[in-house]
Amino acid sequence: MPAFPKTRSTVLTCAASLMVLLAIGIGPATGQHGHRGGGAARAGAHANINRPVQRPQGGGAHRDVNRNVNRDVNRNVNRNVNRDVHVDVDYHDDHWNRWDDHPVATAAAVTAGVALTSAVIGSIVYSVPPSCVTTVINGMAYQQCGNTWYEPRYSGTTVQYVVINPPR
Amino acid sequence: MATAALCFARTACLLLGGLAGGALPLAAAPARTPPASTDGDERDPEALAALDRMGAALRALKQFSLTSDASTEVVLEDGQKIELDGVVTYKVKAPNQLFLELRSDRQLRQLFYDGNALTVYSPRLNYYAQVDGVGATLGELVDRAADRYGIEMPLADMFLWGTDKAPKTAIRAALHVGGGTLDGEPIEQYAFKQDAVDWQVWISKATSLPKKLIINSLDDPAQPQYRARLAWDTRTPVPATAFQFAPPADAARIKLVPVEVAAVVPDAGQEN
Repeated sequence: MPAFPKTRSTVLTCAASLMVLLAIGIGPATGQHGHRGGGAARAGAHANINRPVQRPQGGGAHRDVNRNVNRDVNRNVNRNVNRDVHVDVDYHDDHWNRWDDHPVATAAAVTAGVALTSAVIGSIVYSVPPSCVTTVINGMAYQQCGNTWYEPRYSGTTVQYVVINPPR
Repeated sequence: MATAALCFARTACLLLGGLAGGALPLAAAPARTPPASTDGDERDPEALAALDRMGAALRALKQFSLTSDASTEVVLEDGQKIELDGVVTYKVKAPNQLFLELRSDRQLRQLFYDGNALTVYSPRLNYYAQVDGVGATLGELVDRAADRYGIEMPLADMFLWGTDKAPKTAIRAALHVGGGTLDGEPIEQYAFKQDAVDWQVWISKATSLPKKLIINSLDDPAQPQYRARLAWDTRTPVPATAFQFAPPADAARIKLVPVEVAAVVPDAGQEN
């Protein structure tokens, strides 16, 4: 994969500022709803008339806990370490879209998906640091970031990263 | 076709109604505005007939390409609305092949359906997922992709209008707003009410295909809207390769989790 464009740090800085601004802005509302986890949106427009979709992670703060135990990964064969990093922060692809499962778009970086300091098994983030390494095990991709492993997956059209036990 | 006088009367009513409806949320922003009463809703036979003609025109298409400039509104926790723009591109061959690209400033997704496997692909992240058994027709596909996987294909109504999946009994109110032009093309504008959404459509008089669509969601008091301008190409042949996904050498396969697995469970885990 190519090196990151030079604008990356600028974009990151902008994103960080936006995060701060929006975090301030949504503080009180967040409090009202308990542990909202930084999600900023409560609703989005339907893009269909006759077939309203139940979104896998609407509302902004829902989390999946079904993945937290006993992940069983067969590690016997074909460990294929791919050093390329596919997560290009510059795009902010999949950054703000836990609530935005909308086909049209996702918005700017509101959620602090990067720099997870306490990686609880089963927790979900929407991007991983660029230093993470893609590892393919049995044809499926994982992200290893130091001692933390993530399983990327599509929930709807959103890519999310679930913290898993090391598949080694 | 309605008479000019009737058109005027209706337009006037609509304008007044729009003003009243628009002023209310402004005046009482924090209050939840209840859905409009259904009393007095009428179902204009001309509007329902136009819907039939549009459905028939859509069902008669054997293949097409569609490019849509679309925007969607997101409601933040405090009620503020954010508008996000994007481009939706479809390539379709009836009855069961589809390519869909969803492009915005921050997200790019491609969906391929070759009649057997549904592929979700992110060219930037280079992740793809594939699932089978999501339908023999495009109408079934949009249903199952939504029900099983939470994938909302925008404008999917174009696969449902003219079928029993878009029953006219679901329409509580139908209104012929009037005629006009859109991109230089003569159109007629209609407005409808259904459960959870009010919507408007601008239908080409020449082709009976929809040229513009606005969907107003009622399940949030801020009523976020989805807007789309549609450009149809029903002539240029769509090659079969458009529907086939060939993963690039460095693409990585990941899972597409069913909706029930991605179940919404609040307050679990931790982040940041």
